[in-house]
Amino acid sequence: MVFKKLIKELGLNISEEQISEIMGHLQQRYPDGEDPWGLNLKQAESTLKVVWPLYKHYFKTRIFGQENVADEPYIIISNHSGQIAIDGMLISTAFASEIKPPRILRSMVDRFFTALPWIATAAAGGGAVLGDRQNGHNLLTRGQSILAFPEGVTGVAKSTKDYYELQKFTHGFLRMALSTRTKILPLAVVGCEEIFPWVYQAKGLSKFLGTPALPISPLYLPLPSPVDIHIGQPIELPEGLSADAPDREIEVYVQQVKKEIQYLIEQGLQKRRPFFANQKGNI
Amino acid sequence: MSSEPYKHILIIGMAGGLANITAKILLMKFPGIKITGVDQRSPRGNTTQMEGIEFKKIRYTRGSFERLFRDNQFDAVYHLGRLTHGKDHLLSSMEDRLDLNLIETKRILDLSLKFNVKKVIILSTYHVYGALHDNPAFLQEDNPLRASIKYPELRDVVEMDQIATNWLWKNQRKIETVVLRPATIIGPQIKNTMTRYLLTPYMSVCADFNPMYQFIHEFDMASILTRTLHDLSSGIYNVAPDECISLKEAKKVLNIPTTPIPSFLLKFSNRLAQAMAWSLPRYFIDYLKYSCIIDNELLKSQLGPDLFRYKTKEALTISKLD
Repeated sequence: MVFKKLIKELGLNISEEQISEIMGHLQQRYPDGEDPWGLNLKQAESTLKVVWPLYKHYFKTRIFGQENVADEPYIIISNHSGQIAIDGMLISTAFASEIKPPRILRSMVDRFFTALPWIATAAAGGGAVLGDRQNGHNLLTRGQSILAFPEGVTGVAKSTKDYYELQKFTHGFLRMALSTRTKILPLAVVGCEEIFPWVYQAKGLSKFLGTPALPISPLYLPLPSPVDIHIGQPIELPEGLSADAPDREIEVYVQQVKKEIQYLIEQGLQKRRPFFANQKGNI
Repeated sequence: MSSEPYKHILIIGMAGGLANITAKILLMKFPGIKITGVDQRSPRGNTTQMEGIEFKKIRYTRGSFERLFRDNQFDAVYHLGRLTHGKDHLLSSMEDRLDLNLIETKRILDLSLKFNVKKVIILSTYHVYGALHDNPAFLQEDNPLRASIKYPELRDVVEMDQIATNWLWKNQRKIETVVLRPATIIGPQIKNTMTRYLLTPYMSVCADFNPMYQFIHEFDMASILTRTLHDLSSGIYNVAPDECISLKEAKKVLNIPTTPIPSFLLKFSNRLAQAMAWSLPRYFIDYLKYSCIIDNELLKSQLGPDLFRYKTKEALTISKLD
């Protein structure tokens, strides 16, 4: 409440016109205000109101390549970064507020996440879903767009030396795309790594403690690094390749998607705005 | 009428609300058929006095139950008599329920085969899938039955379903068997744990979770049970509407006040309630935290898309009328 009031006082909130336009579209899309995955439009609206000032004024997010997004479902594949998956939140906000028509991306989250009290319900209310192939298939066949990070936790939980280097991609997204014939939309987020610029991931200790990651850093406060979202052109699916093809055949196309995202990252790094954490050349 | 293949129908669990409605619809739809209804409990309402329905209070495991099959040529058997955790049942301990539900189901199936019943329809439940945090939405019939992983008190539900499905495949050339796994059935005549939970004021809801639900009105469920007789071939079918609603929204529709508390306190508050009056079964708390949404495509492919007359909000509102 205090946060909301402060944001309003400072004039940083999303305008009433914009929010009513967005919610008008979403209301048509989800007339019941809820869906089987736990989406709740009221919750989504209040989340958007809270996140938008951070998106626009704290991370000063810019979006490139909106023209590549048509009014159809996609599997949006992105690099993962930022230690606490802020990238997912910013991409979802971009697609809800700056892409026409606005849409709720169904971010696929890890299993441990869906058991967390309050957090799981709030995330589901905003559109997040369990990262499960059956779930993805059902969403895509119902015309929803999903957001997946094929690097998984290893992508988000990197040490500084590995920033902007794509980790191993899993194959599930391509199999989902093939089984539903949904286009893949490659996307790169640049600027999120600098939110926590100095991190060492204690992988051995994290494994011993059974935690998904264990970042050691002198700084645990997210810095206001400017973030850019680069949307690439949709990738057409290979003809004749089955969703149940062996891994070696799937891997060829997974690598193509990975290369496309790596290219978008490199382009994005050249365009990124100066921020003290990216000035020393180490990130 | 002479062409009707199912002239004499046995309904097991006839004292239940759903069995009552199903019997009425069967009689309306197929005038001239004979229905024998049995239950271990006393009859409820006036359905059992209707022309065409004969009610017998009987224990399913006794010799008299076999005599019933021997003395009557049943063409179809509805097994709607699974014992639940309801307070109406005298045999409410886990061991008794496990024993009775499993022995009873096996006995019904054996007798049906022995006495040349043409079709057996078994009412299982979506609870067999379990309410788990990592459930995807739209669980299909071949998804694993994980209900008893955490809660042994759900063993009877899962094992009864498995007895029926194993039986189905083993005897598919000899007898038609349909296993239905419906989502939550609600209505003025349904007295299950969920309807009691929904309609009791100030029951606890999880402040930190809000699972999605699929509700079926009792009339719609009874209509599907009736259609199963002719229109569904042997198999396992989920029964659920397309519509979903969150638990908190359902309580709002019912206009029933709730007590929101964090889920970790729910176990303790439930134990307190147990000491005072009615409490929720232990396993049920997970159904208040996590969703278990089932897929209805298989059923719709056989019965058509418009299966449900009542919208979710209507069904909830009507269930309040008693």
